[in-house]
Amino acid sequence: MTTSSESRHGPTMRVYVTVWIALLCLVGAEVLLAYAHLRTPVLLAALLVLAVLEAGVALLFFMHLRYERPTLFWSLIPVLIFVFVLMDHIWPDALRLSSLRAP
Amino acid sequence: MAESAMMSHAGPGAVHAGALEESAYGIQTKKLAMWLFITADAATFGAVLFAYGYLRVGAANWSRPFAFFPSILNGIVMTVVLLTSSLTMLTAVAAAQRGRTAACVRWMGATALLGAVFAALHLREWFKMFHEGWSPSTNPMGGPPQFGATFFGITGLHLLHVTCGVLAIVVIALMVRRGRLTAAHVETTGLYWHFVDLVWMFVFPLVYLMNAR
Repeated sequence: MTTSSESRHGPTMRVYVTVWIALLCLVGAEVLLAYAHLRTPVLLAALLVLAVLEAGVALLFFMHLRYERPTLFWSLIPVLIFVFVLMDHIWPDALRLSSLRAP
Repeated sequence: MAESAMMSHAGPGAVHAGALEESAYGIQTKKLAMWLFITADAATFGAVLFAYGYLRVGAANWSRPFAFFPSILNGIVMTVVLLTSSLTMLTAVAAAQRGRTAACVRWMGATALLGAVFAALHLREWFKMFHEGWSPSTNPMGGPPQFGATFFGITGLHLLHVTCGVLAIVVIALMVRRGRLTAAHVETTGLYWHFVDLVWMFVFPLVYLMNAR
């Protein structure tokens, strides 16, 4: 089996296990928040922040994006964030619908 | 002159080494293709989750059917299983990069097994909900029927990705054992599997924890 030159760099198993433990802790934090009797918008925002943090950690370390060339990061991630920001524009309509309900 | 002499002696389909440009990303084409697929798939899941969020925020009486036991606990176990499968996949990639084929195949087998466990737990949750009267178009709690459509749609799309991932890992592992594929193939497969895990990082809190009772 050959080893490619670009895969000789990267984190050690210790880093992987540390990241794995950190992700499990974040999941635990999410479960605790779900039962903290927060208002729905606050809970949603908190869970989204934690989910984005988990995704970022997984992207950087598990998927090795931190160890790839910056061109790969800048080619993929900003455009994806742009797509999600555009999708964010639907929230005012959803909130308008919720306020149109009869009391 | 030397160049054209080389080309004239080359057979059909031969590629002149100087004609190939170095990749701007410094990675193999298969890995770049996987990254592009992951980006597109992330946009797909994002759209599905945004649509779910839109319906949930806009609905007056969104159902919250998931009790801690067994639903949320099952979700926690599924999350731990999937995160652990990412760790075993990383170990498989590391073994492949060190030339340890047998270890790589074993760790890929462990990853596939954990993926199958995740799928089984998920299906068990589904069948429990079917038994309670849930479906993509029915809501036994009397709330909006869109709950079923969004829940089964989102989790079904993710389960499809998990199933395809498990099958792909098994096939790649068998071909690695036969010496037909390299560490780069294992790494590329690993990228897909980590993406599947990453999507679950959003599905579990938004679909399960937001609807916990």
